[in-house]
Amino acid sequence: MKKPGAVNWLFAAPALALMALVSAVPIGQTFYLAGEFGRLPLDTRLRAVLWNTGVFTFWTVSLELILGLTIALLLTRPFHGRGLVRAAVLVPWALPTAIMAMAWRWIFNSEYGVLGDLLFRAGLSGSPHIPWLASPGPAMAACILADVWKTTPFMTILLMSGLAGIPEELYEAASIDGAGPARRFLFITLPLLMPTIALAVLFRAIQSFGVFDLIYVLTGGGPGGSTQTIALYIYDSVFRYLELGYGCALTLVMAGCLLLLAGLVYLPKRSRG
Amino acid sequence: MRWILAAALLFPLVACRKPEEDSGKTVIRFLANPDVGGFAKDIIARFEAENPDVRVEMVEGPAATNTREDMYATSLMAEEDTYDVVYMDVVWMPKFAAQGWLRPLDDFFTPELQKQFLPGDIEGARFRGRLYRVPVQSDGGMLYYRKDLLEKAGLAPPRTFDELFAAAKRLQAPPDRWGFVYQGKQYEGLVCVFLELVWGSGGDILDAAGKVVLDAPPAVEALRWLKGTVGTISPPGVLTFQEEEARHAFQEGRAVFMRNWPYAYNLMNLPGSPVRGKFGIMPMVHGPGGKSAATLGGWGYGISAFSKNPEAAWRFIEFSARPENMKLAFFKGGILPSRTALYTDPEVLRAVPHMKDLLPVLHAAKPRPVHPRYARISDVVQMAVSAAISGQKDPQEALEAAARELRSFAQ
Repeated sequence: MKKPGAVNWLFAAPALALMALVSAVPIGQTFYLAGEFGRLPLDTRLRAVLWNTGVFTFWTVSLELILGLTIALLLTRPFHGRGLVRAAVLVPWALPTAIMAMAWRWIFNSEYGVLGDLLFRAGLSGSPHIPWLASPGPAMAACILADVWKTTPFMTILLMSGLAGIPEELYEAASIDGAGPARRFLFITLPLLMPTIALAVLFRAIQSFGVFDLIYVLTGGGPGGSTQTIALYIYDSVFRYLELGYGCALTLVMAGCLLLLAGLVYLPKRSRG
Repeated sequence: MRWILAAALLFPLVACRKPEEDSGKTVIRFLANPDVGGFAKDIIARFEAENPDVRVEMVEGPAATNTREDMYATSLMAEEDTYDVVYMDVVWMPKFAAQGWLRPLDDFFTPELQKQFLPGDIEGARFRGRLYRVPVQSDGGMLYYRKDLLEKAGLAPPRTFDELFAAAKRLQAPPDRWGFVYQGKQYEGLVCVFLELVWGSGGDILDAAGKVVLDAPPAVEALRWLKGTVGTISPPGVLTFQEEEARHAFQEGRAVFMRNWPYAYNLMNLPGSPVRGKFGIMPMVHGPGGKSAATLGGWGYGISAFSKNPEAAWRFIEFSARPENMKLAFFKGGILPSRTALYTDPEVLRAVPHMKDLLPVLHAAKPRPVHPRYARISDVVQMAVSAAISGQKDPQEALEAAARELRSFAQ
């Protein structure tokens, strides 16, 4: 058989040209424009935003994985009205982030926020005025909570598709051999779901690491810069300070972090074979 | 189907063309906030009646000022002539001017004309010795106080930090009524609040020679005082307040004193407002070493360096800044004029008597550092002040770190 060379490339050419236009060119420009790398190691704000971004990513992805897996397991079992529940679970994910972030800002508002009011009515707080977004810890927790609320459905869908791919016969065989639900989960579901989990975690980690809109609207990076993430810092550098070179350098740092993250998620899988 | 698609693809190209060829008129375009009250359209109509050869196209952009700043910056960065006139917040000007995006107005904006405007507004229009902006709207921070409560307690309106603190402490009844509310969230408003206190203590961020003095004793004292308000005379939630949160608290009778801009005055005096007629305004309090100061806000017009019709653009700017048009903007849109004479104008005073109280406030108004990297300076200051008043850092340490950072790029 002839080697499938030139003709295949010819067919792929339009798609490749489009890819080059929308990704290779901007990426190339970023490298071209990036400058002032000497500032990077001295930049205390960079260290702070990387730490904040790391904290945000770790907590959102972990919580979303646990919650998403729980919900996915519940929703794969057939029950009455499952279609409706599945659709309802998707609602937060379908909302535009900026709008739901605005709603969370109202929920967390210290003067008229509903969360403080609920806790007050339930007798859990002495006053309905709780300034959630006024101190670093609670402000970060608020961002994480809003993100978990919004993006858990995404995790759920991905994991559900993975669960659907596990053959029912395996569970049957295991049941006949006397394996209980816990063992079936540990020795069938979890290992077979691993590739999907890795993929879902990678997707989410990349998204989470680049979070912008949610935090921009909810806290604006405050208080005291304690919820500022690297995407917000890059936005400030490029659009507000007009420091294009340094902004591009920061973008490269961010891209490097993402590659590292992707490596961390995929490496364990590779080593297992 | 294919035709619809093609039309949809081509439509933006057609729609983006500048339509000046059709009419033979010179088109002057600028981006502005939504024209609430409709006065801007009136001024344009008056201008076009007087100048039949020019058509003014006002693009009503988003209400968020930072979004409009980005829209201008994106267009000017590409050196496009989309906008002939640049309608600017006072803090954008140095950044735009330093990039060479604005045309100096010294030839048009004569010293005699300048004298008719508030001194702070002119100071905020100057960058590296040249003028780039004609102010048409003035703005300055000030102190609102509950006249009724102070009178009942037999207290005079406070003049100093200590008097404000004592009066607030005495008249408050937390959590229902706090002593003092202001803009404490980490954003531009916090810098305005902080600067008034620093100026009031005799300090500054950058001194007259451009050296960073943010870690000098006056600034540290001002920040200590501000930190001391949180949880004692100000609600802990003040750290999340912007203008509107503060106004709502004050308007609903939940605060004795408030730092805010003039816009709140009319809103709080509307029928149905619980504090209607019960409050007064005065310049911000000051420390032992200083005098009252206000942070200057406000808007003005500049001309894009890429405009092909600077002369027509100037005609429009000069027209908009005429006293009768500022009056129109004031009556129809509540826009504070930037011309000194209008604050003693009988017609204005008859309609809004408190305008005479505003004049001393605006006379004491100073621009924030007029610096091309102001946006970055502001962020550094915001973060330091926010970290200090939310208890993450000691005020002295926070300002020392911020000053170190400022010295690395701002002097």
